[in-house]
Amino acid sequence: MTTSDANQDELMKLLVSVARSDRHAFQTLYNRMSARMFGLCFKLAGQQELAEEALQDAFVQIWHHACEYHSDRGSPLSWMLTIARYRTLDLMRARTVRRTGGEEYLEHLEDQRGGPLDAELRSAGAAQLTGCFGELSDSQRDSILLSYYRGFTHDELAQALSSPVGSVKSWIRRGLMALKRCLER
Amino acid sequence: MRKTPERIESLAAEYVLGSLKGKARQRFERWMMESVRVRQEVWYWEEKLGQLGDQVPDRIPPGSVWRGIERRLWPPGEPAATKTKSGRLWPAWSLVATAAALVLSLMLVQQPAYTPDTRLSGAIVQAGVGEPLWLVDESGGEGRLRLRSVAAMSAAAGKDYELWIVPDNGNPLSLGVIPVGDVHQVELTDQARQSLGRSRTLAISLEPGGGSPTGQPTGPILHVTKLYEL
Repeated sequence: MTTSDANQDELMKLLVSVARSDRHAFQTLYNRMSARMFGLCFKLAGQQELAEEALQDAFVQIWHHACEYHSDRGSPLSWMLTIARYRTLDLMRARTVRRTGGEEYLEHLEDQRGGPLDAELRSAGAAQLTGCFGELSDSQRDSILLSYYRGFTHDELAQALSSPVGSVKSWIRRGLMALKRCLER
Repeated sequence: MRKTPERIESLAAEYVLGSLKGKARQRFERWMMESVRVRQEVWYWEEKLGQLGDQVPDRIPPGSVWRGIERRLWPPGEPAATKTKSGRLWPAWSLVATAAALVLSLMLVQQPAYTPDTRLSGAIVQAGVGEPLWLVDESGGEGRLRLRSVAAMSAAAGKDYELWIVPDNGNPLSLGVIPVGDVHQVELTDQARQSLGRSRTLAISLEPGGGSPTGQPTGPILHVTKLYEL
């Protein structure tokens, strides 16, 4: 699922209209983006209700802050996904969401065969970031992707990966820096 | 902690990923407000990691989500007059406002039914803090602004928070120093009320104890918030 430049241009035009308080453009933007953003909210929260609330908050923020978008902040798509993701994480932390199915994840992860991360997401993520995830160790890659897609905290990662918190922190830190070095090449 | 390029690089990545928490996250948000270099590093990661978000399968939200958004933005009974946004701050502040908006999000307080006499109301919130820092509302028709501090923390020793009206044009107008942990009322002059009525924008800056010595903000602008007409 890639987003063409034409789509990005269209999103940009909609955002400009929304910044001018155009309600019709706002609804079009919602129709265009809500399923994409809701997919991410739901993936992170694993809960319908919280994901719905996060999506609602995210669009209220987009209405008020559309005028603050600028191209340095990435594509309109990634800007909106970022808003949805931050809002979901905020709500998850405020409510200390406990995930269901944790035990099941543990078993999968212990033998390094997937777990809470769908295989397709893992490979799609790797392809998207120009193959740079391939340069990371399995632990580094899994810690980063689990944080991104599932909002796992350091403690949750330590538990899920059966490793000390210190190791998890260092996998994330080193993994992210390795990713950046690779992306900059 | 000093802002070395290595620290900025590594903390920005963890900030966007979400693994930076608590005090460290708050300190980093302050860095973002202070430095464009820090914000650019955050944007870099938002764009790069944002590509991962694009890979998640779509999921159609129920219709109640859109109806909820409409209710919050345009409560029933409110005239559907086209609102023009007046978010034009003067140049220096507009940059800061953008920075602040990165980490501060605006939340509508529960809106009661529409009443004919217009009152301004709103909330000053901060990302990562569950409750609003301050709730702001105007006592109907009396030209008085009421600030109730909810989750606001005291300013550092020797510092005070100062409240400003950000007009559509011209310099900010001080509404004085605001205390934390209480309800604080500010009398608005006719001129101040008119100015606020047009721009509906308030800001809070961090100033030396007792307030800005120059009559204009001298410290970092911590919050910029837009009020709503009830």
